[in-house]
Amino acid sequence: MKIEILKENLKSGINVVERVVGKNISLPILDNMLMTAEDTFLSLVSTDLETAIKLWILTKIIKKGSVVVPAKFLSSLITSLPNEKITIEAKGQDLSVESSAIKTQIKGFNPEDFPIIPEFNRDEFLEVDNKIFFEGLGQVINIASPSQSRPEISGIYFHFLKNIITIAATDSFRLAEKHITLKEPVKKEFSFILPQKPARELMAILENQEGILKIFFSQNQALFELPMKETNHPKAQITSRLIDGEYPNYQDIIPAKFKTNAVVKKDEFLTQIKTASLFSGKVSEVKIALNAEKKELEIFSKNPDIGENRSSMPIQISGQSIEVSFNYKYIIDGLANIKGSEVMFDVSKEEGPCILRPVGDGSYMYVVMPIKSMQ
Amino acid sequence: MGAFSPHLTLGFKIDIFIYTIIFARLAITVSMNNNELWQSVLAQMQLSISKANFATWFQNTEISQKENEKVVISVPNAFSKEWLSNKYYKIMLKTMRDIDGGIKELEFVINPQALRSLPTQSQPQKEIEKIDAEQLKFDEFKVNKETNLNPRYTFENFVVGSFNDLAYAAGQAVCENPGYAYNPLFIYGGVGLGKTHLMQAIGNKIAGDPKKKKVKYIPSEKLISNIVAAIRSNTMEAFKASLAPIDVLIIDDVQFIAGKVKTQQEFFHAFNSLYEKNKQIILSSDRQPNAIPELEERLRSRFEGGMIIDVNLPDYETRLVILKQKLQEKNLKLPEEILEYIASHVKKNVRELEGALNSVLIYYKINSNIPTLDVAKKLLKSFIFSPFDVTNYKKIIEVVSKFYNLEEKHLFDVTRRKEIVKPRQIAMFLLRKELKYSFPAIARKFGGKDHTTVIYAYKKILREVEENNKLTEEINLIKQRVYSG
Repeated sequence: MKIEILKENLKSGINVVERVVGKNISLPILDNMLMTAEDTFLSLVSTDLETAIKLWILTKIIKKGSVVVPAKFLSSLITSLPNEKITIEAKGQDLSVESSAIKTQIKGFNPEDFPIIPEFNRDEFLEVDNKIFFEGLGQVINIASPSQSRPEISGIYFHFLKNIITIAATDSFRLAEKHITLKEPVKKEFSFILPQKPARELMAILENQEGILKIFFSQNQALFELPMKETNHPKAQITSRLIDGEYPNYQDIIPAKFKTNAVVKKDEFLTQIKTASLFSGKVSEVKIALNAEKKELEIFSKNPDIGENRSSMPIQISGQSIEVSFNYKYIIDGLANIKGSEVMFDVSKEEGPCILRPVGDGSYMYVVMPIKSMQ
Repeated sequence: MGAFSPHLTLGFKIDIFIYTIIFARLAITVSMNNNELWQSVLAQMQLSISKANFATWFQNTEISQKENEKVVISVPNAFSKEWLSNKYYKIMLKTMRDIDGGIKELEFVINPQALRSLPTQSQPQKEIEKIDAEQLKFDEFKVNKETNLNPRYTFENFVVGSFNDLAYAAGQAVCENPGYAYNPLFIYGGVGLGKTHLMQAIGNKIAGDPKKKKVKYIPSEKLISNIVAAIRSNTMEAFKASLAPIDVLIIDDVQFIAGKVKTQQEFFHAFNSLYEKNKQIILSSDRQPNAIPELEERLRSRFEGGMIIDVNLPDYETRLVILKQKLQEKNLKLPEEILEYIASHVKKNVRELEGALNSVLIYYKINSNIPTLDVAKKLLKSFIFSPFDVTNYKKIIEVVSKFYNLEEKHLFDVTRRKEIVKPRQIAMFLLRKELKYSFPAIARKFGGKDHTTVIYAYKKILREVEENNKLTEEINLIKQRVYSG
């Protein structure tokens, strides 16, 4: 294998694939990445046996072939090189990297020992605008909590039906759900649970990318494919195993009847919650009172060691006056994921689930459980 | 005859001997198919590849099936599948052929490992739950999707006392012989007395049984909304079909179908088709079937066709046991005197009892010192001197009219219609008995009737209560509601 490539291009490629490379004691080959010179592309592959990332870089190929080298090490080396054209050549199992002034040789491994990235039947797939998908997944992804005793709710739930993708995540205290509308309906209903870690890798890769994302799925795996701008060849593929299990029927927890419905200015609400959070005690409690007579939202928090805080803001309200306490972090998380300036804040009952959603946008919903008030 | 018999016996013995050999050989081949065959492959592979590779790729693999020439190997993930089929196919096949020449082909299937929760993970999990006890959770997530049951409710944590031992025994009998013991089983009683717990415990026990009975728990609101949705979307047949395979159907709070004609109709058919097939049906309600207003006669008679049992208020000793059990579940301790105080003062229902206990526990957690009896008394004020303990005129009128499905104003109508006279008399009776209103005062409330009318009503009900069990039940249930808010 022998290629010529711009340092910047190689660097950005390595940055992507090295994300899944960790320290693997039982199988050291996983600390490496596989570089293959194809017809007109250099491809980079890495895996942790749960997720695999494959990336193609358009470059000048002099001789085809492949080599397996330590990913983190190569990354550090390339970073230190000046920004210019570099030549990469396989010398047996080893790899030589040359720029105008520097010559190095890195010990590699036998490419035959590198895991084979599983292929699967690609009949089932859908296409979605990457920007919209990225934004939608971003509104949901951080709600899942990895340290769950129940693996099926530690992942991100994807559900495809007709022309709607539904993405949901929960940590059993709150739940976020996002709908994305597709141009083309899917052939049949399908759902899967993607573990949170590969979902995060996916987010990192999709950020600031344009084009149409293709999602392929089967019973055990899902593959996300991003196209290359210049050609119709794929630019990146993220393959992940899926979580085996059934996602709980979360529709049941979304309340349908509310004691109180309010519309709140988002930024003001967020600022006041943040202020109140400074005074919240061990349990992070802030109390929110919706006052139907005064048409006000009041926030109250206190801590015997620090002091107390009270603030209020005008709101639109229908229904009864009600007081509910929350962990302030959960409210901030919800508000942060809401685009737009006004938020609907619906309270089902004392100690019952509450809903935050943007005004005028039915595609996003954040359900949060209160805490038992201490004050 | 006697001379022949040794020969016969001998011949028979030889036959047995031969069969034994054949069977023994068969047995070897059979077991070879599964474990031993795979073990010999593993033994061979261990020699040819590095330890790390072996551990990575062969962990959790096994032969799942063997059909004549093909061996199906189950692997934990897609990576193992690719690797084994690409790298080790030949050597594995060769090893197997050395043992069994008939094998010609290997196939790999992905069989994801059963979701395991590592013991190391569950430890911090518990920790978190302890700290965040005040943070409320989505309860429904614990619910089993298939059966709709919450695994938290079991017989093991169901406290039995004199107030519910009959119900408990009936539940046990149903578990042992679903569909035949008592069908339908109809449980009634006031709020928070453990009806749902008992029904779910029955469901969980039957569902956990190796016989694999199909259990479904449906709160009646859900049943109603399902039927309404099915009617609207014209999918009634699909809805019926979804109920057909159920072996044990549990409907909670069945009194809510009162007055819902179409729901009653559809439920009647579903009930019949399950009942005919000897499928178990378990129902709960806040009152006995004949006290549910606007319930079709044919449904009522079916509800009464099995076993009807009630759950009552727990006595002091049972309340204490319940408190101790709850504490044990939470792995916490409180001084005995506090528990006794709660048990002797919070009598309304089990839910209230739990609430009282929780409020003491929250104090305990926040301040991380054990509350004294005085502190506990202060904390429990709202439970003990709750406004529900005392009732009032308005409440009695409201509950009575609701119980008999009347509008409040009809109680005061000048009429002798039977369906109004009786509730009116009961209301008068309760006003006298519970609030100690004077007869003339009650008469004034009921639109200037003569006080003798009230005296007559009071005496009549008093007398009938003694004779008529049904009326006693009704009045008890009304009282429970008047006092349980």
